[in-house]
Amino acid sequence: MDHTGFRDFVLARQQALMRTAYLLTGDPHLAEDLLQTVLVKVAGKWGRLAKDGNPEAYTRRALVNQYISWRRRHRPEVPSARPPDHVPDRAAYHDDTALDRIVLGQALAKLAPRQRAVIVLRFWEDLTEAQTADLLRCSVGTVKSQTHHALARLRVVAPELAHLLNEPVLQEAAR
Amino acid sequence: MTGLREALRDLADQAPTADLADLAEVAVTGHRRRRLGVTVLGAALAVTTLAAVAVLQGVRGAEGAETAESADRRQRTPEPDPLPERGAGPVSFAYLRECDFDGETRERDCSKTGWRVVTAAGRVYSVPGAMARTADHGSVPLAISRDGRKIAYYSREAGAHVVRDLGSGAVTTSPVRIPEKRIGRPGGTLTLSDDGRHLAFDPREGSKEPGLLIDVTNGKTVQLHRKYEPVAIKDGIVSLVRYVKTDLWLMPVTGGGKPVRFPGAYIGFSELAPDGRTVAAVLHKDYLRAGPRLLTLLDTKTGKVVRKVALRASGWARGAFVQVVRWQSATEVVIDVGKGPELYSADLRTGRTKKIVTRGPTSQMATLPGQPSSG
Repeated sequence: MDHTGFRDFVLARQQALMRTAYLLTGDPHLAEDLLQTVLVKVAGKWGRLAKDGNPEAYTRRALVNQYISWRRRHRPEVPSARPPDHVPDRAAYHDDTALDRIVLGQALAKLAPRQRAVIVLRFWEDLTEAQTADLLRCSVGTVKSQTHHALARLRVVAPELAHLLNEPVLQEAAR
Repeated sequence: MTGLREALRDLADQAPTADLADLAEVAVTGHRRRRLGVTVLGAALAVTTLAAVAVLQGVRGAEGAETAESADRRQRTPEPDPLPERGAGPVSFAYLRECDFDGETRERDCSKTGWRVVTAAGRVYSVPGAMARTADHGSVPLAISRDGRKIAYYSREAGAHVVRDLGSGAVTTSPVRIPEKRIGRPGGTLTLSDDGRHLAFDPREGSKEPGLLIDVTNGKTVQLHRKYEPVAIKDGIVSLVRYVKTDLWLMPVTGGGKPVRFPGAYIGFSELAPDGRTVAAVLHKDYLRAGPRLLTLLDTKTGKVVRKVALRASGWARGAFVQVVRWQSATEVVIDVGKGPELYSADLRTGRTKKIVTRGPTSQMATLPGQPSSG
């Protein structure tokens, strides 16, 4: 095993991967758990990944799959990951950006796991539909429909994010 | 950039700071660096690694490890009193205070960095005289005796290690002077014996540079085999581990003894059990397969596996480490699974675990009593 290679990979990409893990889980502790769990798996396959594959792509796929697997098993989430019952009062926030962030975090928590994964992959990771389909091992059509349903669901559960969700580029992506 | 992507970016900025150097170390070498908690600054790989991260990551370099919010919070926290000359209670843990980071100017202020000790009663003290950082930002370890009543650290003024009795205030300076250039190097560790008399100083864990066992009362030294690393000093016995093979050498503090070999690669060795014969460790394969849920009890006389203990717990990360901090009794151990500030007791007969200690609010590098400190 190329010890240096794995170590360098972790040190170089850990924060970027942590950000993705956090967007998927919505909770700092779960994000740490998720990333640690996945990296242990990656370490076990590092020899092959370093030689033949794309370690980062594999790691991202493993992150998403592990996250979906946890959600399927109804892994209990810590309270901070659960959205509060009330919608934050926009007037109470001087900073619209902060309010968007909070509302978006709550809204993402109400999506099905694959819908949430699609949102993160398409609009955070900037993956194409084909790349997302490859990563999720599904068809491009499925990615399109998941994206459509995810955005529609976000509009329902967080109408205050309309200014983010109704941009033309998103309308196009959801077709 | 779409507004949604910007909002996602703002959300992603709330992600915790990743410090998975330990995980990488275990995964690739089966060898755990003895550090608890989460921090980037001051990691053993600090200088070289942070430079690499800053260049390669291109997202958040070393300076991005701490948010402006946390820096602000820290600035509002009053500085602790220095350790009183005598009468301080036993220490539960120690941690290295991070440098302050200005989120606007992106500048780091390390003027307030230093070791802090937290007593069992919850009082926090700074440790004047304990060197915390070298000129090139290497972190310098501070070790705690098993009972928490003595601490050991390197004194720049003395050019040597000192052992301080927190109750009586007695300070014993090691007659063995060690040049500062050997201190605070990546991978350096310091271990203090349960009676505070012996120090195991390893200038660079895992390297071929030999460590030194020092009797601070008379300056006698025993050179440690360069392939072995100290994990505990208890009851006059130094536990030395040669990873990968795996060999455990229970060496009397006066020298001697011989190693025993275990079948397989083990990590996370405990001190000797009260029976003076058993140790707990984690088989590297078990760790990769089951995470922090399988301990192995090993017989140090025969090198054979006594039995495995499946730990029963929920909410532990699969990728977390399990480290036996100490044996409470013949059937109970205290373990650390890297779950923030929490420690657990584990019943070795049933595998049941129970949260027993919260080290405190800090998530910074911490040293526990009886454990090697790597700064």
